[in-house]
Parts: sequence; structure tokens; C-alpha cells
Amino acid sequence: MRTARRWLEAGTVAASLALGAVVWEVAGRLTSGAFWAPLSTTLASLGTLAASGALVRYAASSLQLYATGLALGIAVGAPFGLLLARLPWLRVALEDYIMMLYATPMVALIPFILSMLGFGFTPKVLVVFLFAVFPVLYNTVEGARSIRPELVEVAHAFRSSEWQLWRDVMIPYTLPFAMTGVRQAIARGLVGMVAAEFFLSPSGLGQMIMLGSQNFDTANMLAAILVIVVLGVLLMDFGRWVERRFAPWRRASE
Amino acid sequence: MADARIVVKAAGKRFGSHQVFRNVGLAVGSREVVAIIGPSGCGKTTLLRAIDGLLPLTEGEVTIEGTPVAGPREGVAMVFQHFGLFPWKTVYQNVAYGLKLAGASAAVIAEKVPRFIELVGLTGFEHHYPYQISGGMQQRCGLARALAIEPRVLLMDEPFGAVDAQTREILQFELLRIWDMKPTTMVFVTHSIDEAVLMGDRIVVLKGRPASVHEVIAVDLARPRTRATLAEPRFVELRERVWGTLMAEARKAEFDVTQ
Repeated sequence: MRTARRWLEAGTVAASLALGAVVWEVAGRLTSGAFWAPLSTTLASLGTLAASGALVRYAASSLQLYATGLALGIAVGAPFGLLLARLPWLRVALEDYIMMLYATPMVALIPFILSMLGFGFTPKVLVVFLFAVFPVLYNTVEGARSIRPELVEVAHAFRSSEWQLWRDVMIPYTLPFAMTGVRQAIARGLVGMVAAEFFLSPSGLGQMIMLGSQNFDTANMLAAILVIVVLGVLLMDFGRWVERRFAPWRRASE
Repeated sequence: MADARIVVKAAGKRFGSHQVFRNVGLAVGSREVVAIIGPSGCGKTTLLRAIDGLLPLTEGEVTIEGTPVAGPREGVAMVFQHFGLFPWKTVYQNVAYGLKLAGASAAVIAEKVPRFIELVGLTGFEHHYPYQISGGMQQRCGLARALAIEPRVLLMDEPFGAVDAQTREILQFELLRIWDMKPTTMVFVTHSIDEAVLMGDRIVVLKGRPASVHEVIAVDLARPRTRATLAEPRFVELRERVWGTLMAEARKAEFDVTQ
């Protein structure tokens, strides 16, 4: 019964994807090549790009930017979040700024970053970092602040030192919240990556899209978009896996 | 009392302008179980936390083994109504927690943890997480964590208050069995009259607003106590006596709250 339902579901997904591919193909054939390329042409372009090594070069450039910005966002966001939860005065002092920046569409800051830092790798990393850091920071602070007081009391009753309290209670308790932030940062960082490649010095997959668009080479443009879509899906899955991996207890106890 | 291990002298606790209890005096012998009972809000749990050193008193003092309590100390362990297990630790890791903080070596932990897990009947569940086991089993784990540091003073904060009635009864007799194997100083806070009579050598009744020691009732029931104890005429007599003292107060407290 259960396997039957699973087959039905897999069949529906496959049929939906196949239909989407057919619609793409037909739409591409019915319209001008300057607007829309059929799936077959897009895949052919993708094949050519892959064969020439250009795809790998562009993707590697993008991923380097993405990974650097994301890693910095996590490395700064999580410890700083814990620090804010630990020092109430610092949190009170900075909370409004954090909320403002968390709420701001980061794209709005890109022209400002451009005028401040110009072109190059560093300002682009800063953009990805800004996209990634706030979800991590925000979720870590909120997580650490939601610590159940009775668990802290247990630690005190067993004569825990401040450092042991952090090692045994605060950090393990906060970790799954921070991971929720990491999952969001993984998704937002990708947006930051493409935005930085569009608006700062063009590079990577973003540049591929821009070049395709400017040259009316729709097949190349769609090929680059397709790569980003696949990357996004894979990264989202990875994010969800990371989140689950660190909190087997959280789902069941809440 | 000559061999008193815990002495509470003229203890009072105030939260802001609210005086919870005042002038509470109490001495607990080294192999004695004192049950503290009283209506809701009388501060019995607060008193227990003050004895542990988790909360400072506003008046009076607590001494354990002759020295004033300023914070949680070595040789004193507490079992909590809410169990207080760490959800990200397995049963084994939770039981090892107190030992680890007490600085026990890996060899000592490897020897003691399975022994205390066996003592509370959790063998086979070492690698389960708290959310994977029942409330009764979680409290067995909490008990093992406290017992593992081999405390000279055991503080019980309504330990069976959050489990169902049948499990509660099973755990009461388990605790009696464990205590009989190694009698130690125990303060047992409860709001169950039966539990107070079954566990205690003496029952301290807290009463009044602010609360103070209204009556101390000696429980002259023989140990070891078992299920048969519940059927003894003396048990019934003592239970009625505590009931009489407490229920008049509970009724008054209930009406106070409504007003």
C-alpha cells in the first residue's frame, strides 16, 4: 500500500517534470530565438559550454565567491549571536541595528558598497556575507535566549562553571537554532552571489547570464540560469540535511 | 539534633515585597528522610532550592555538615520535578553529566554509569534520548544522575509530581528500595500526603502566609517500607492526621487565591 503510494507520487513528479520540459520546448520553438530558446537548444548550449571548460570556470568562480561569503557569514554570525545572548547590554545596544539590517533587502546596499569599495573580489564577498550573516546571527541570538531556565538550574545544581555551562548546555542547546539560520543563509547567500555578479564586477554564472542577455544568446543565458536552479535545489536540500543532522532531539521534543 | 547533617535556622525568603516563608527551622539527621509538605505557594520548593544553595535566603541560614551554604556544593544532589534531562544527551550521557562535572576520570565514569543505570532499571536504554522514553523512565534517569555522584545529601523536588499515578507508585517503592540499600540524608518535597507518610521519618508541615513550620509529625513506621506499609493501620492514622492539618489550610489557601 505504502510502496504503491510512493510509486504514484514518483510517477506524478516525473510526469510533471516531463510536461514542464515539453512546454519549455514548444514555447521555445513557437517564439523568436531572441526571447526564448527551446530546452533542446539550451541543453546543447550547456553541452558546448561544459565541453569548452567555460562552464566549469564560471561555476568555480561563482562557488568560490559563494563559499567565502557564506563561510564568513557563519563564522561571524554564530559566535557573535552567542555573545549577544550572553551580554544583555550589548544586545540591547545593537538589537535595533540588527533588526533593521535583517529587514533591509540587501540588494539596496549594493550601489553603496560599489561606491565604497569599488570592483574586485572583496566587495562581492561582502555582499554574499551580508546576505548570509543576518539569518545566522538572528536565529542564534533567539535560540540562545530561549534556553530553558530549568536546564541552566540543573547545571548550577551540579556545580557547573560558567565555561562548562556554555560547553555542556548553551552551545548544544543553541546549535539547532543556529543551523536553521545556516539553512536560510545557504539560500540567501545564493541570491547575494548572483546579485553581486550582476551589479559589481561581472563574473561567474551571473556574468554568463548577463552576457547571454546582452548578446541575445538566450540559449546560453537559460543554460546558466538552469545551472543556478540546480545549484539552488541541491544547496537547499543540503541545508535541510544540515539542519536535521544537528538536532535529532529538537523535532521530537517540541 | 546531635548528628544533624542539614540545619536550617530562622530561614526566611522574600521576593520583592512578598514574604514566602519566615522563621523556618529544621534539622535533618544523616540517615533521615524529612518530607516537606504544604499547600501550593507555601514555598516548599523555594526552601529546597535554598538548602541546595541555588537561591540565597533573605533571612537566616542553612548549614550542611557544619558549614554555611553559599552555593551548590559537592556531595549534595538534587532531583527535579521537571526531570531536567538534557534532550541532546543520551541516557548514558545524562547520567554521566554530574560525574563529569565533579571531575571523575573516564575510568570511574565507565564503571559507575552502567552500575547506576542498572540500579534504576534502565539497562538497555543507555543510548536512548530522553524524548524516546516515558516520563517515568526519564525520572529514573534523573535519579541515576543524582545518585551517581554518591551524594551524602539528596534533595528531591516533587520528583514524582509529573508522572502518572501508577508510575508514581512504582517509583516510590523503587526509591525506598534504593534508599534502604544506602541510607542517606534526604529532604523530600511533595504535595502528596501518602507520599510524605510513605517516604518520611518526619513530616514538616508548612503553613500560613507567610509560611512557617506549623507542625512536625514523626512517622513511626518500620523500615524497610513496602506496599504492605500502605495497609498498616498506623499508616492510615498518620495519613489522616496530616490530612486534617493540611486540608483546612489548603481550603483556606484556595479561597485566598480566589479573593
